Amino acid sequence: MRNRLRELRAGRRWSQADLADRCQVSRQAINAIETERHDPSLPLAFTIADVFGLSVEEVFQPERTSAPGDPSQSG
Amino acid sequence: MKAETQQGQVARAARRAVLVDGLPVATLGAVALALGSNPDQSPGQRAWWITTTAAFSLAVVWVLLRAFRRADEYLRRVQLESMAVAFAAVLVSLQVATLLDAAGVVAIHQVTQLIIIGGLAIWLGIADLRTRLRR
Repeated sequence: MRNRLRELRAGRRWSQADLADRCQVSRQAINAIETERHDPSLPLAFTIADVFGLSVEEVFQPERTSAPGDPSQSG
Repeated sequence: MKAETQQGQVARAARRAVLVDGLPVATLGAVALALGSNPDQSPGQRAWWITTTAAFSLAVVWVLLRAFRRADEYLRRVQLESMAVAFAAVLVSLQVATLLDAAGVVAIHQVTQLIIIGGLAIWLGIADLRTRLRR
């Protein structure tokens, strides 16, 4: 899952440790999410979005080429 | 700079917690291993060996529970994946040890504890390397 964590963090001049403290997770977890090695659980995704004052959709974007339920993709 | 210092302190505190938990258990495992090394044990020696091994097993469970409680969702995933590798290694080692025991090369009751301690070492080693190397 793609995300804007690095960009949002840089905009606020927060280190990974700062963000980890605010989300109450380890710095390794933030690093793994940022580098897209780990998809956060729904509660953690909401927490991260809350910390930035944004909605989940503004922070995380699914890696899919078409919208769900797109009639052009159905057989 | 402050964040780096804080990060270093957090990492050091986490490692210290692992050592505080892990070192007594590893020592207990070594003691249990030493007590079980004599193939011709007296009833008293056997009782000590069983007691120490039971304490070691409980301590391992306690360390596992504490490690899982302390971890967040990502670290818990890393720990579970590392544990799966260690579990596979322990299963294969036990199978090999059983064959060697049947062939009279080793005594399985002695090797079993060594295998479990090795499995713990593999588990902790992989989990530590995965979180340490991927910064």
